[in-house]
Amino acid sequence: MTDPQPKAGETILRLNDIRKVYGDHVALGGVSLDVKRGEVVAIIGPSGSGKSTLLRCVNQLEVPDSGTLEVLGSNIDFAGRVSSADLLALRRKVGMVFQSFNLFPHMNVLRNVSFPQERVLGRSREEADKVSRDLLERVGLANKMENFPQKCSGGQQQRVAIARALALEPQIMLFDEPTSALDPELGLEVLAVMRRLADQGMTMVVVTHEIHFAAEVADRLIVMADGAIIEEGVPSELLAAPKTARAKQFLSAITDR
Amino acid sequence: MDHFLAILSAVPVTLLVTFAAFALGAVIALPLAGGRRSRFAVVRLLTKGVIDILRGVPPVVFVFILFFGVGSDLIRWEPLPAAIVGLGLISAGHLAEIYRGGLMAVHQGQFEASAALGLTSTTTFSRVIGPQAFRVAIPGMVTWLISLLKDSSIVSTIGVAEIMFVTSQGARSSGEGLLPFIIAGAVYIALGTPLAALSRWLEKKLSFGRRA
Repeated sequence: MTDPQPKAGETILRLNDIRKVYGDHVALGGVSLDVKRGEVVAIIGPSGSGKSTLLRCVNQLEVPDSGTLEVLGSNIDFAGRVSSADLLALRRKVGMVFQSFNLFPHMNVLRNVSFPQERVLGRSREEADKVSRDLLERVGLANKMENFPQKCSGGQQQRVAIARALALEPQIMLFDEPTSALDPELGLEVLAVMRRLADQGMTMVVVTHEIHFAAEVADRLIVMADGAIIEEGVPSELLAAPKTARAKQFLSAITDR
Repeated sequence: MDHFLAILSAVPVTLLVTFAAFALGAVIALPLAGGRRSRFAVVRLLTKGVIDILRGVPPVVFVFILFFGVGSDLIRWEPLPAAIVGLGLISAGHLAEIYRGGLMAVHQGQFEASAALGLTSTTTFSRVIGPQAFRVAIPGMVTWLISLLKDSSIVSTIGVAEIMFVTSQGARSSGEGLLPFIIAGAVYIALGTPLAALSRWLEKKLSFGRRA
């Protein structure tokens, strides 16, 4: 995993007034969010609240209708057209982990992690494999390298996906409900890897339903509803005493189960 | 025995027509399949129209149009190129739809993961999407190849000296109606069976994950 970044405090991701509309449904109604280097931000909220859409706007899997995005010093204004060179540059700095893992089914675990390094960073196969082996060992998959994804459990696949993203040395990691498709037990393996990553100082934005993980690991908790951030704060404080009725209602719904 | 040897000597022509038409179709089908997925509605509609025409016209009609129609007025087509281009274009229509099915079988997440990793669209198609779509498309492609092998018999009507052409000639000159055609049928089966086996083998070999 990448070196810890000691100079916390500097804002490296800034979303400003991001709007996204599908037909007549407002997915994001002008959302702004700053993330500092080394910060772990957890986003929770009911489905349809726009939390995944917001996350996907960061690496342009969704193109906002308007607003600006600032990632590690480069600016993108969505009012104009975004060039594909800017897009690739942006995506190289930002790693993403999906709910459905999205490993490449025709490549074994090692190739899944090595292939993008060869293509994106121009590493040789030997260099890439060395990095991959190291990362896969760290996520506890040293003995799975030759397996194909479908021979791995969901938890293992998600850890491969994390290794694959980290191999490109991103400065920000996005997690889109990384444990939602997993049995609770398998989810724990993934959360353990994410916790270690946070401890090492990785900047992370995590959309999740894992309220305990958010409480323990996140520096900041954000509650979204109806395409807007309705509340944010230190997780322990926010969870103990949500200010808005909407947040209160949502939190009691997920903590009462 | 004479019939058998004569028919056997025509096998290379049948194989040439079949494989050349298949290869031509496989290449032309690529932009057609791409056009069906275009961002632009006009391109989608246009390629759909072309594919429907290619698939809707019977092979024999298509080959006749090329050989007699285009051949007499514009360019002088020899029977063999007319046969290969005619069957090749029809193949393009069918293979484009087979490719499209393969592409549709690839999970949307594969596109998203490739994009999120920063892979270029060329790399995404050649190394991530293409191989997965191809695996799904292979059984359909081999099925088409087998029917093309049999359909290639229609080009005997424009004078290409393939199996059916030689067989008819033999039958007429010897007066033995039945035997040459039975031999021809057997030869087609003998040619097609390994292809069917190849298809089953490939399907087994290439199936991974979802369908296994």
